[in-house]
Amino acid sequence: MKNKSRKIFICHGTGCISSGSLEIRKVIEEEIKKLKLKDVEIVPTGCHGFCQRGPIVIIEPEGIFYSELKPEDAKEIVHSHLKNNKPVERLFYPDPITGKSIPHYPDIDFYKKQQRVILQNCGHINPENIDHYLKVNGYKALKKALLNMKPKDIIDEIKKAGLRGRGGAGFPTGLKWELCHNASGSKKYMVCNADEGDPGAFMDRSILEADPHSVIEGLVIAGYAIGADEGYIYVRAEYPLAVKRFRIALQQAEERELLGKNIMGTGFNFKMNVMEGAGAFVCGEETALIASIEGRSGRPRPRPPFPVHSGLWGKPTTIDNVKTLANVPRIILNGAEWFSKIGTEKCTGTAVFALTGQVANIGLVEVAMGTPLRKIIYEVGGGIPNHKAFKAVQTGGPSGGCLPAHLLNLPVDFDSLTSAGSMMGSGGMVVMDEDTCIVDVARYFIDFTQKESCGECVPCRLGTKQMLDILTDISEGKGKLEDIDLLIELAEGVKMGSLCGLGKTAPNPVITTIKYFRDEYEAHIKYKRCPAVVCKEIISSPCQHTCPIDTEASTYIALIAEKRYKDAFDIILKDNPLPSVVARVCHHPCESKCQAGKWAEPISIRALKRFVTDYALENDLYPITKINSGRDLNANGKVAIIGAGPGGLTAGYYLAEMEYDVTIFEALETPGGALAACIPEYRLPRNILNKDIEHIKKSGVMIRTNTMVGKDISFNELIKNYKAIFIATGAFKSRKLRIANEDAQGVLDAMTFLKDINLHREVKIGNHVGIIGGGNAAVDAARCAKRIQGCETVIIYYRRTRVEMPAFKEEVDAALEEGIDIQFLTAPTKITVKNGKIIGIECIRMKLGDLDSSGRRRPIPIEGSEFTVDLDTLIVAIGQDPDLSFLGNHHGLEVSKYDTIVVSSETYATNREGIFAGGDVVTGANTVVDAMSAGKTAARMIDKYMREENISREYQLTRPSMYISPVELTEEEIEEAKRPEIPCLPLKERVYDYKEVDLNMSEETAIKEARRCLRCDLETEDAKKWLEQTQMTEVNRNG
Amino acid sequence: MEEKLKTIFSSFKGKEQELIPILQKVQDEYGYLSKPTMLEIAKFTRVPESQVYSVATFYGQFRFTPKGKKHVMVCRGTACHVRGAPRILGEVEKLIGIKVGETSPDLEYSLETVACIGACGLAPNMVVNDVTYGRLTNKKIHEIFGRKEKGKSDEK
Repeated sequence: MKNKSRKIFICHGTGCISSGSLEIRKVIEEEIKKLKLKDVEIVPTGCHGFCQRGPIVIIEPEGIFYSELKPEDAKEIVHSHLKNNKPVERLFYPDPITGKSIPHYPDIDFYKKQQRVILQNCGHINPENIDHYLKVNGYKALKKALLNMKPKDIIDEIKKAGLRGRGGAGFPTGLKWELCHNASGSKKYMVCNADEGDPGAFMDRSILEADPHSVIEGLVIAGYAIGADEGYIYVRAEYPLAVKRFRIALQQAEERELLGKNIMGTGFNFKMNVMEGAGAFVCGEETALIASIEGRSGRPRPRPPFPVHSGLWGKPTTIDNVKTLANVPRIILNGAEWFSKIGTEKCTGTAVFALTGQVANIGLVEVAMGTPLRKIIYEVGGGIPNHKAFKAVQTGGPSGGCLPAHLLNLPVDFDSLTSAGSMMGSGGMVVMDEDTCIVDVARYFIDFTQKESCGECVPCRLGTKQMLDILTDISEGKGKLEDIDLLIELAEGVKMGSLCGLGKTAPNPVITTIKYFRDEYEAHIKYKRCPAVVCKEIISSPCQHTCPIDTEASTYIALIAEKRYKDAFDIILKDNPLPSVVARVCHHPCESKCQAGKWAEPISIRALKRFVTDYALENDLYPITKINSGRDLNANGKVAIIGAGPGGLTAGYYLAEMEYDVTIFEALETPGGALAACIPEYRLPRNILNKDIEHIKKSGVMIRTNTMVGKDISFNELIKNYKAIFIATGAFKSRKLRIANEDAQGVLDAMTFLKDINLHREVKIGNHVGIIGGGNAAVDAARCAKRIQGCETVIIYYRRTRVEMPAFKEEVDAALEEGIDIQFLTAPTKITVKNGKIIGIECIRMKLGDLDSSGRRRPIPIEGSEFTVDLDTLIVAIGQDPDLSFLGNHHGLEVSKYDTIVVSSETYATNREGIFAGGDVVTGANTVVDAMSAGKTAARMIDKYMREENISREYQLTRPSMYISPVELTEEEIEEAKRPEIPCLPLKERVYDYKEVDLNMSEETAIKEARRCLRCDLETEDAKKWLEQTQMTEVNRNG
Repeated sequence: MEEKLKTIFSSFKGKEQELIPILQKVQDEYGYLSKPTMLEIAKFTRVPESQVYSVATFYGQFRFTPKGKKHVMVCRGTACHVRGAPRILGEVEKLIGIKVGETSPDLEYSLETVACIGACGLAPNMVVNDVTYGRLTNKKIHEIFGRKEKGKSDEK
């Protein structure tokens, strides 16, 4: 049977070629030959603008879109699709948001949400075959222009259309042509600026590679309109394929008398020259470009005179961007009215962007002018991958600016972007997420423009260098607060004193980042922090920098690799008085910023810590005698701490170490706070917790349990008897659902439920348990309920999706493993009772609505989707707030509307002298190490207070306390390197049991994993100096 | 004057505006712009020697010391170091026959080390012209530089 007649469009753009499209073509051709398929035509095309998904193949007439193909895939396509008419489903494009396969490219959001006018032909024609262009109305506009219109008519049409220069400045093209047309002189030039120097921009490249004739046609029409008989295209040398395709197109056009002498028999002559740029960004500026064509260094000159009056060799010259010229044939053919209906009143037509950076769909995007940024980034771009938060979008390349989230509704057009401090520029649009450092971005752009500055204007030449030096200092932790204003001052000087666009716009990235992200600059300068964890000299290793208690993870990991476990334990203990606890329950923010995690899996930092602390427990390495034993407790003053949770215990430890007389008042019968009352034993065995509490007690701190402030002793009494007070009472008041029957029998709040379980009090639940919530309390409650004898089903109901669940990922995984069901996008609406007891709930399903201002989709109820569930127990775990009733009335402390105590974010001091607060009572429900961090810092601040010193923080660059030589892995190790699976208790041993679920890794695994660490701490200049010295010592030692 | 240079000049008219294209063609042929060739170009285009030098040094494309057709940059950041970069570097030097900072006599290769290319997760890394190669092993290096692995027979 004859196979269907088909066309196979294989992308031969620079991007796809580099990812292997030529091999794909070879395979397809071979297989077609082997199978003797007929009527199958291979069409090599130019760039689709979706290079990230290359190699791209489209099969017509079905319009099936295949992407990211490997040679084996190509073979399968020929056999299955071309021969057997069965498209290969597994190779369809997966939507980055929904994951669904989309076979037809018009349905792919990336294309569907665009309005491709000048990109229309890209990817659908063979750019090296003029007949393809002719078939899609090619050169019809030129015919119309030359045969039916006069130059003035053409100029009027372009003016009516409102076309503005797409090179970035947005000057009205019609006006420019008119000025040149009216200039005196018979010799004129028409020039196409294809220098496209902005890093991250590749629109012009794609058009030249995919649809060169559209630019040629635009050039000839323009030449006719202004009265030029000769033209140039200035293409950057770094685009060899674009140059090649353009030259071929020129030759073919000439052969068909569409270029050269006596075009279309009208007597109009127009010849084209190709000039390759030689690597100078400034040559994108028109007067510099002119100098370059004339054979000189590309230095701009003052204007007036403007090129339209005196350009190339003093003759009137019009210079237009590739995209501007690509619009011309379409305007002439379809009419100015058609064009002016697209876009906005002042900015007609479309805009083409190279959308890159932290966005799901990377590629060329053409949309109508006036489209909001949000639509481009989220609907066409598919949003930010890996659930990272949006930070900024940079438009206009090195001449543009970074715009923050609250400006995402800005329409994309020349004027709106300029008024926000950015600019459209040539069309680069770089999306940045939370892992991008804005200071680093500013420095990157100034580094670029400083290098590319031609040197002609002193303010640009020297000003950009100065700005670069200052920004480099800031990124290395050497900045001063005055630097920010100095940068603004320099920026203004550079802008005012520069002749050309490079200098005039180079400071824009700096100005906008300071305007919208000043706090990030201040973080670098004042707090010695890089919030995105990028600037190496400030962060040293990302793990240590991110750790709220400054633990030197890379150091203890390096020590594990050398089998120095005791030293590793000392390193951990130094910053962490609850080492074994943290090794089990920490949410490891370090791992989320681990450099090894960028391309592979992060290092198992927490599990490695546990390896060390378990070793310490087994080998009795906890310090026995206290350093400060035998000291006079009353010497330095008395401090009271309310709450023996991680925050209070840590503060107490450090204060006692500083020889203060510290008493911790704990309401429950045992210290630990959330560690004792919330976190279940299968996550944190109580003997482990007790070991760490014993360690804390060795400092000399007194813990008075069963003593509740507000009941057994009043807050005011504490104030009377203690010089300083640290409030660390946490957040244990469960939030209410606020629906009827919430106080029925069988409806419990998670905090009470967990406390009763963990403190071994009597707990009675039914057989069918429902849990409302998605945080750790919900998951802990679920896993505890499952362990109670008689409990049959446990279902968690969460109103959002898995991705948004605040509970730790490992906890959710374990819960699912243990047979707990989680119903996502479900919320309770009613509690049904009988005789005062709960018998069930009514729920409603939710769906994700439109994007809100933060770029998230809010859940909205689906009408009519209500359903009932039979339950005999409902545990409510939708959040916890602090309970401040213990303070009594008239405590005078400033309290927020969420019932949290308000403190200075740096010193933890409240508005009352001598009273400090930290942990969940300040932040609301948060993590163990964040509470410990507050306790650690508050202790230092209280110390200053007690000594009557100024209560202020000093900030230092993150550095390890010691350097250790790096290991060198064998080839085998490198090949096999991967994050180990942590052993856990088999499921059957977990039933009705609170035995610890996560187990320790073996020594062999620990050492292997430790050796996988990339030792980011050795990347600073300090470390490199140490490495040099050590190596020199080695050399000297070895002779 | 060298034959190659004469051939290049023959396709030009000798005008000042041709200076940059001539420099480009000459560099394509020789791999860089040497002083003698620049002097010849000055004569041919009748542009002052100082101006030829000024224009050539203005543009980033032009080199004045020979660089290989394949410019190899081996990353020496810490992550790459830990994953065997010194060993990789030694192997590369052996394979292409030059040391860091040198260019091979046939202008095929030049070699330098760079501080960090930021692909640490794929360590150890190497960049050849524009192509980044990560997760390097001895085998991969041999494949990249087109030599057969030592010890293996040349026959299929």
